[in-house]
Amino acid sequence: MPEDSDWEAYKVPPTRTPVTERTTSVPNPVTFFQAVFGYVVEAPVTYLREWIERQHAKNKFYYYHQKFRRVPDLSECLEGDYLCFYEAEAQWRRDRMVDQEIVEIVRERLCACKQREGPNEFQNCAKEMQLLAQVTKAYQDRYGDLGVHGNARTCLMKQKHRMMEERKAQENASQ
Amino acid sequence: MAAMSLLLRAAAAWGARRAASGAAGAARPPWLAGAARLPGTVAPVRHSSGHGKRMFIIKATSFYDNRFLNLLRFYIFVTGIPVALFITYVNVFIGEAELAEIPEGYVPEYWEYYKHPITRWIARYLLDPPEKDYEKELALLDIEARKTEMRLMELEARRLMRHRGDGPWYHYETPDKNLVDNSMKSTPDN
Repeated sequence: MPEDSDWEAYKVPPTRTPVTERTTSVPNPVTFFQAVFGYVVEAPVTYLREWIERQHAKNKFYYYHQKFRRVPDLSECLEGDYLCFYEAEAQWRRDRMVDQEIVEIVRERLCACKQREGPNEFQNCAKEMQLLAQVTKAYQDRYGDLGVHGNARTCLMKQKHRMMEERKAQENASQ
Repeated sequence: MAAMSLLLRAAAAWGARRAASGAAGAARPPWLAGAARLPGTVAPVRHSSGHGKRMFIIKATSFYDNRFLNLLRFYIFVTGIPVALFITYVNVFIGEAELAEIPEGYVPEYWEYYKHPITRWIARYLLDPPEKDYEKELALLDIEARKTEMRLMELEARRLMRHRGDGPWYHYETPDKNLVDNSMKSTPDN
């Protein structure tokens, strides 16, 4: 999904500008310009848009996000079963796209947090920063140096190497 | 020759313009015979108010350029305007679809995964459903896989038959032994 569906993460805390008292009797010219803009530009455009929305509301129809069934993974495919390879490859690509979008969303949340906090970002955004570090590390571990020709097979081999390294590290640690 | 006279005429016009625009033509020595003014300003004459003397302005032809641009605009707009009107009509009166969660127990048709009504129409009436496309791709892959397998098996069979010599391949024609004339070797004293 291209946009973050959780808007709570982006809420800006309410501003605390104090209410000023008028010290002059000269009216604020900004209100005049706002009224002019409202009547000349905003009202006709809003009217047209609402008319178009009324036409749309006469025949509504919907679209859905497609949900793909899970198919056997590459590690569950027999050797030489090219159809199984193809389906596993397609599923792996979809999963990689989903992971890329997840990283993108976490990054955008951190940016929004930085924008909100301003100079306090290092203290108040620590959670988002830690989450981003975690997520990018996980992404790098899984899809990291596969390169532009990376496919499900190379990713599986990378996972195998990671597990071997882990086992070796465990053995070294236990000795 | 015509080009040469054109060139000379253009050079004279340029020279006249340059001399006329110089500081008060009288200060310059009169190299050019006679008129140190722009053509058309030699003698004081009364002209129609505001318009001045009618001049025949010599410049390169723009006929072909204008014809090209007119034709270009015509052929672009002949289909462009109906298409633009149709798309505007669809966007204003039919509108795009709204995103909704898939209801329980309902399997959406394959064209209901698109937003714009024209895309939905194309997906529904012109293109094959993605399930059929998928099956077509898998069928191609299956055929190619079987072909690869058959070719490898053929190579292996050929190798074995050549090596062992007990199969139907790699037979070489030899003459029939009944045709061999053994009369030269039939007696010991030949």
